[in-house]
Amino acid sequence: MVEANKEMKEGISAWAKFYRKGTGYLAFAFHRLSGLVILFYLYLHYTVLSNLLRGQATYNAIVKSITYGPYDSFLALDFLLALVIFYHGANGVRLALNEFGIGMYHHKALFFTFEIIAMILLGLFDYYALQFVGVGF
Amino acid sequence: MVENEKMKYGSLNRFVQAVTGLFLIFFLGVHLYVAHIDFRHPVAFFSSVINQLHNPWWLAFFLIFVYIITYHGINGLNHIVADTSISERAKRDIGIALMVIYVITIIYGTILALLVARMTVPA
Repeated sequence: MVEANKEMKEGISAWAKFYRKGTGYLAFAFHRLSGLVILFYLYLHYTVLSNLLRGQATYNAIVKSITYGPYDSFLALDFLLALVIFYHGANGVRLALNEFGIGMYHHKALFFTFEIIAMILLGLFDYYALQFVGVGF
Repeated sequence: MVENEKMKYGSLNRFVQAVTGLFLIFFLGVHLYVAHIDFRHPVAFFSSVINQLHNPWWLAFFLIFVYIITYHGINGLNHIVADTSISERAKRDIGIALMVIYVITIIYGTILALLVARMTVPA
């Protein structure tokens, strides 16, 4: 309890202190960090979608530039974003189940189970999505 | 008494965050499949988006999606703010500011989706 209060006082900077804090703490810190990344992307996504109002030529030019160049490096960031989303979703399901009183005493097992399932789904998603940028396997 | 009310609100808030999160697994799953795999292109082109939003069911889907995902994101940010060491007054003010940002975002999202749904694909 004293330790928890100390962490509350330390605030966000405490997230980066992983030493001897275990899987649960890593999961917590990365959940919040990934949430911030997703929220930033969400507003970026709304901004890009706003360009639909500027018409077909403008919107398609933006889409082509981030898919085929000159800004195609954004596509790599897109795949990193997918990793963040799948991680956040899997850990989020575990947290939601905990909130409903399920799996309270099996944090670690549930964390790894959901993360493994999420990474398999991410692999499948990346495999199919990459087919359309001409990356063959 | 005030502490009890705060705890009750905190529990409800976490519960709503969990429920919206579970909804998002479904919404985001459908969105990622449709936008990145079903359109057979890594990012959907103009005509694909417009044609999809011409369908009222898809329009409703995206509107609900925007309301839920924005709420979940903004509320999550509010949870992070609540865990910082800033004053209670600052936390309350930031909470109000985040609520205003949420309302502005969903109004903007609704107007954007409705305007896009009314657009036609040039021949």
